[in-house]
Amino acid sequence: MAGRAIQQGVKQVKPILSTNHAEAKRRVLNLYKAWYRHVPYVVKDFDVPITVKQGREKLRELFMKNKHVTDIRTIDLLVIKGQMDLVETAGIWKQRPHIMMYFQDTVNPRPPGFLEKFYEGHDP
Amino acid sequence: MATTLGGRLFGQLSSSVRHAMTRNYVTVVTGAGVKLTNQPEKRSSDVATITVDEKVDISSITGVPEEHVKTRMVRIFIPARNAMQSGSYGMRRWKIEFDVRERWENPLMGWTSTGDPLSNMEVTFSTKEDAMAFCEKNGWDFFIEEPKKPTFKKKSYGANFSWDKKTRVSTK
Repeated sequence: MAGRAIQQGVKQVKPILSTNHAEAKRRVLNLYKAWYRHVPYVVKDFDVPITVKQGREKLRELFMKNKHVTDIRTIDLLVIKGQMDLVETAGIWKQRPHIMMYFQDTVNPRPPGFLEKFYEGHDP
Repeated sequence: MATTLGGRLFGQLSSSVRHAMTRNYVTVVTGAGVKLTNQPEKRSSDVATITVDEKVDISSITGVPEEHVKTRMVRIFIPARNAMQSGSYGMRRWKIEFDVRERWENPLMGWTSTGDPLSNMEVTFSTKEDAMAFCEKNGWDFFIEEPKKPTFKKKSYGANFSWDKKTRVSTK
């Protein structure tokens, strides 16, 4: 019995930052804009083999990865983490590999199907 | 019960992030001339509480890789009693266990290895609902194995000699 929806209904909780969805959305957009404007400087500062366009596409992709999130507190936490990440990037506390980690170009893609895993010799 | 567990874990996570942010308060000016701090903007209003869904999903903020969220199946169960003469103390808690991933044997020493970070995770819960809420919060699929209740079978020495039972085999 694969069960779901044990947690039902609504509850009252302390807000992290935002008190409503509009405010949370504004914070997300502000963070997105800050990152968007900073992408050319990332490319220049870290001398990564990435164009500004590719960087912005990746930025969009990473933001869209969390578009299913509706909980205000989760959105706030994601914004906080994104903000910390941006500060670390803007202060050049990172190194080039940290930027390239967003692109995962050294990661071998997982074999998708049964036969591919069989050819691989094992199920990683 | 589920609510308190969810609330507690969520609260811990958020307070740790907040703690980190207030501790290391810095300002950085970006190339675009934007002044950035890792201190979030203050709350716009002093609202004491907000209404959110009871269902919490922390899988997007835990940093657990997607493959260990979407593809894992959790078994929620009570461990079986040891068949030897040990007591039933180990049966009092609900446990979770993940589906088995690839394991391999060390060719020299014969040690067993696995690349699965969740294979050795031991979490116990006092109720089934707690375990379910925990799995749901982390985005794992789960199923529940209800413990088998042993039925009490009445036995008596005298029944061995009763005339209407099949137990009396020597002098029928």
